[in-house]
Formats: sequence, structure tokens, C-alpha cells
Amino acid sequence: MAYLMLVDDDEDFARAVAKALEHAGYEVAVQLDTDSAGAALRERPPDLLILDVMFPEDASGGFKFARTIRREEPALANVPVLMLTAINTRFPLGFGASDIDDVWLPVDDFLEKPVDLDQLVAKVSAMLGQQT
Amino acid sequence: MAVSQETNEATYVLSPGVSETAEAPPSGSAVTGTFSPRLVVRNVLWFCRFRWMVAGLLGLLGVLGLIPGLLERYGLRIGPWALVTAGVLVVLNAGFRWHAARLKQRPSLRRVLGNLWSQIISDLLVLTVVVHFAGSLETGIPFAYLFHIVLACLFFTRPYSLLVTGLACGLYTACVLADQAGWIPGGGIYIDDSVRRHIARTPLVVAANFVSTQAVWLVVWYLASHLSAMVQRRDRQLRATNRRLEAFLKERTQHMLRTTHELKAPFAAIDANTQLLLKGHCGVLPEEAEEVIRRIGVRSHRLAGEIQEMLQLANLRSTGADGLPRDRLDLADVLRGCIGQIRETADSRQIRLEADLAPAPVTGVKDHLEMLAINLLSNAVHYSQPGGCVRVRCRPADDGGADVVVRDEGIGIPADKLPRIFEEYYRTNEATRHNPDSTGLGLAIVRHVAGLHGIRIRVQTEIGRGTTVAVHVPTSYVTPAVQEKESPHGLSDAG
Repeated sequence: MAYLMLVDDDEDFARAVAKALEHAGYEVAVQLDTDSAGAALRERPPDLLILDVMFPEDASGGFKFARTIRREEPALANVPVLMLTAINTRFPLGFGASDIDDVWLPVDDFLEKPVDLDQLVAKVSAMLGQQT
Repeated sequence: MAVSQETNEATYVLSPGVSETAEAPPSGSAVTGTFSPRLVVRNVLWFCRFRWMVAGLLGLLGVLGLIPGLLERYGLRIGPWALVTAGVLVVLNAGFRWHAARLKQRPSLRRVLGNLWSQIISDLLVLTVVVHFAGSLETGIPFAYLFHIVLACLFFTRPYSLLVTGLACGLYTACVLADQAGWIPGGGIYIDDSVRRHIARTPLVVAANFVSTQAVWLVVWYLASHLSAMVQRRDRQLRATNRRLEAFLKERTQHMLRTTHELKAPFAAIDANTQLLLKGHCGVLPEEAEEVIRRIGVRSHRLAGEIQEMLQLANLRSTGADGLPRDRLDLADVLRGCIGQIRETADSRQIRLEADLAPAPVTGVKDHLEMLAINLLSNAVHYSQPGGCVRVRCRPADDGGADVVVRDEGIGIPADKLPRIFEEYYRTNEATRHNPDSTGLGLAIVRHVAGLHGIRIRVQTEIGRGTTVAVHVPTSYVTPAVQEKESPHGLSDAG
């Protein structure tokens, strides 16, 4: 059973997403901030990380967290990262999958909030290299 | 605002009326006013180039003076002093140039000022020598000091430009006194020295010439330094305003991002929980409850969309295109991306999307053009009948811009209502009946984007037959005071 970690400060959203993923057969750990997520990641690296962008303490906390684990945590550098965001490409200052790069945005894929749970499960499955 | 911390206790005081955006200290210094070290270095190099010309002119005069009878024909004599001072200037200038070139790599204000003051002092000394040999009272050469006085007024603050003026006055005074006392042999450049002898014999003329010359310098110093101080003050005010404006724009950008997130995040949670219930993750629901939850989901989706469009519109109204990154874009690529975004909705409504896109390069704000395209495509899809077709065509225009046509086979728009379709929140009854989820903001966003980019839009419609929207995007449209931004994303997150 693949182990996923979901980092999002919105607990209602995170628990709902976690439940859908658990129903799809994944083991899911929810972390509500990047500090606790960092500690939990080091303790048990997940097979895939689902990460929010904005956190109450830092509006770009998700980006920084992704960069930190890519650059400074060799054991976690290859963990695939799926970024969830409420800011999308239709917003004038938004961003999307085309903005992914190794320096500014070192993640593997994007999904926009609100998330279609079936689409999320399919995306996770694809990123883990599984058949849907 | 203040923060103090002793052991584990911390205190924070937010003082009313104190801006949290710290004012950056003005660049430049007490000596150079608003000029930065880098700018002073550039001007130091420019002085060096100018000095080569002065040295060349002196050298030429010296050479001409060596040719017997040439200058004498015109009543002039130039001694070897011209060649010697030209040589001294060349040596000094080579040194200044070498030092300034090194400073260009690593400009330090202290060293730049050292170079500049060395140039000023050596120039004034060399000029005084030239004034002495050319004739301190009977020629207009002393007015060459004015170059240094005016340049000092431009580059230095008033006390320091006055210091340069005082230095010039002091050296000129010493030169005139030495000439009158006969301490240093001179002679002047005129072969007929009757003017010189007349002046020397008449102390009142000496005094009048001497005083009037220096009075002119002081008046020039006063006027030039006053004007320069005014310009520098205005420059400082503009810099401060610019800093405040930049801080404001940055803050507003952050605020818009945060607001969007804060307003959309609750809907994401409502939506995820609604899906949990509807998809049976929490067990089977009674049919009536399922219908209620479905309605909650639809309305929350619609509200999230409205919030997003309201924010987009507010941002367009207040920001304009200024300060956003303008890129060279292929409009066909932009349309291709937007068609990809709308395809799922089109499929769900059994509407065929056909694209005929030729490369059409334009310059513009990518996000804005995407907003325009997605809204036009979304309207075409939402107001089409099931089984209909939406055709998108893109071609380069004759004037270098691009022409885009979006054609649908939808419900059409009544002719009398056509002039109002770009108004905010305006929806025709026919449109509301066909697509109750519309916010009425999509075409208002299109209108604002079109205004910012000089885009021309032509709408042709026929009830029951469909609507054709023709868009002409100019190759480049720059609103006044447009600025390029470094970050391609507009986010201040450089992390």
C-alpha cells in the first residue's frame, strides 16, 4: 500500500481528501503545517507528497518547502510532489503546470482547488506509476 | 512598531501612524547628492574623455608655437609651457582613467570621491598655470574656471560646490598677486603687451578686473547650485514616491493572492466534503438528501467562480497592464492552451471544438490574453446547443497583429441587447434561461482586457443561428509608463 503525505493548513479539506484517497487504497498522513510535515517526512519518507501552496505563516510556504526537500534533503529529493493550489492560471498572477521548473517551482504536477476527487485519485495513481 | 525580547517573553508594539514599510535610505551621499557611486564613476570617465581633448588642444597650440613666425603673424606667442602642461595633463589623465576603470568594476563611494577630488584639484592647478602664462587679467582664459564651478554645482551638494568655487577664487587670486608682484615670469600670449602694461600700471583696473571676474563666478555658482539643488530635491521626491509606489504594488499583489486563496479555500473544503457524500465515501444517502447536497455543490461551485471573476475584474480595473510582464507571444499558443482548458466543459455539453490556428506573434500580458480568450471560448460553449460546434480561427493580421474569430452555433443575442453585453453583471433573459450559472462578468473582463491592449472586438449575431466574435489584437500596445518586471510570475517570492 503506497504511503502518501498531504500537507494543507485547511483541515476540513485535508481530511476529506485523505478519506477519498484512503478509500482508493492508500495510506494517508495529514500534516497541517510545513514544520510538522518536515519532521514527519524525515521520520518516514512518503511515496508521494501532496502539498498546498499558501500557509498562514507564509504565503509561499509550499514553494519553499518543495525547494527545501529537493535541495537540502537528499533522502527526499526524489519524492514526487503534487501541488494543490487555489490560485490558478486564470488569475492574473497565478501559475500553472507550465511554470514548473527545477529552481522556481520544483514540483511534479499541479491540481487546482476545488479538486475533483476522482481526478485527484487518478493523478496520484498516475504519478505513482499505477494503472487506474 | 517595536519588538523586544527578554528570555522567553516577547513584546510587540504596533504604533499607530508609523508606516511598516521602511523607507530606503536615499542613494548618493552628502557630497554627491542624489548621484550613486556607479553614476559618479561614469561621469568621472566622461571627464577623462573631455580632458583628452583639452590636452590635445594645448599640445596643438604648443606645437604651433614652435613653428617660427606662424603665430606671430597673428600677434600671438605660445611658449613651451603649453606643451609641458599638455604633457602633465596626459600623465594625470592616464592615471585618473586607469583608476576610474578599476572603480567601474567595484564602485566604492570613498574611492570614487577621492578620484573626483583629485581630478578637480589637479585641473584647477593646471588651469591656474595656463591662466598665468596666457595672461591672468588681459585674456578671457580665467573664465575656464567656470566649467569646474558649474560641473561642481551639478554633481555636488551646495557646500561642496562652494568649496570648489572658493578653491578657484583662491588659486586665481594667488595667480594675479604673483603676476602683479612679478614673482613668476609670465608674459601673456599677446606680443603687444600694452594692454598688460596698462592694467599693471593702474591698480584700479587690476582691482576692477579681478573683482568683476570673481563676482561673475560667484553669481554663476549661486544660480547653478540653486537650480541644481532644486533638481536634486525633486529627484529625491520622485525616488521616494517611486519607492512608495513599488511597495504599494507589491503589497497589493500579495493582498490579491491572499484574498483569492482565503475566499477560494473554504469552497474547496465544502466541495471536497460534498463530493465525499455524493460519491458514497460516507455510505448511501437518501435520494432527497443526495439532491440537496448536489444543489449545495453546484451553488458553491458557482460562488467560487463568481469570486474569482470579481477578483479578476477588480484587479484589471485597478492595475491595468502596467507593471505586468509583457512578453512576445504566439497568440495561437495562447488559444491552444485555452481550448485545452475548455475542452472538458465542451465535451460534457456535447459541443464540438474545431481549431484552425496559424502562428500569430503579438506582444502583451499573457495572463490578460488568456483571460480574454477563455471567456470568449467559455461563452461560445455555454451558449451553444448540444451537438453544436464552436470554431476558433487565428491568423496573423496585415498590420502585424493577429485576428481571431470565435464562431458558435448557439442561441444568439437579440440585436437591441447587443450594446449592453459588455456591461458588468448584465445578462439577457435568453442567456439566463439557457445558462443559469453565468455570472455576467465574463464579457466585462473581456472589455477591460481589450481596453488595456488596444484590442478591437466585433460581435455579429443572429437569434437561433449563433454568434461570431472577431478580435483584432495589435502586434504591440503599450500603455503609458509600462514597466518590465523581472519575475515572470509577478510573485515577489524569490526565495
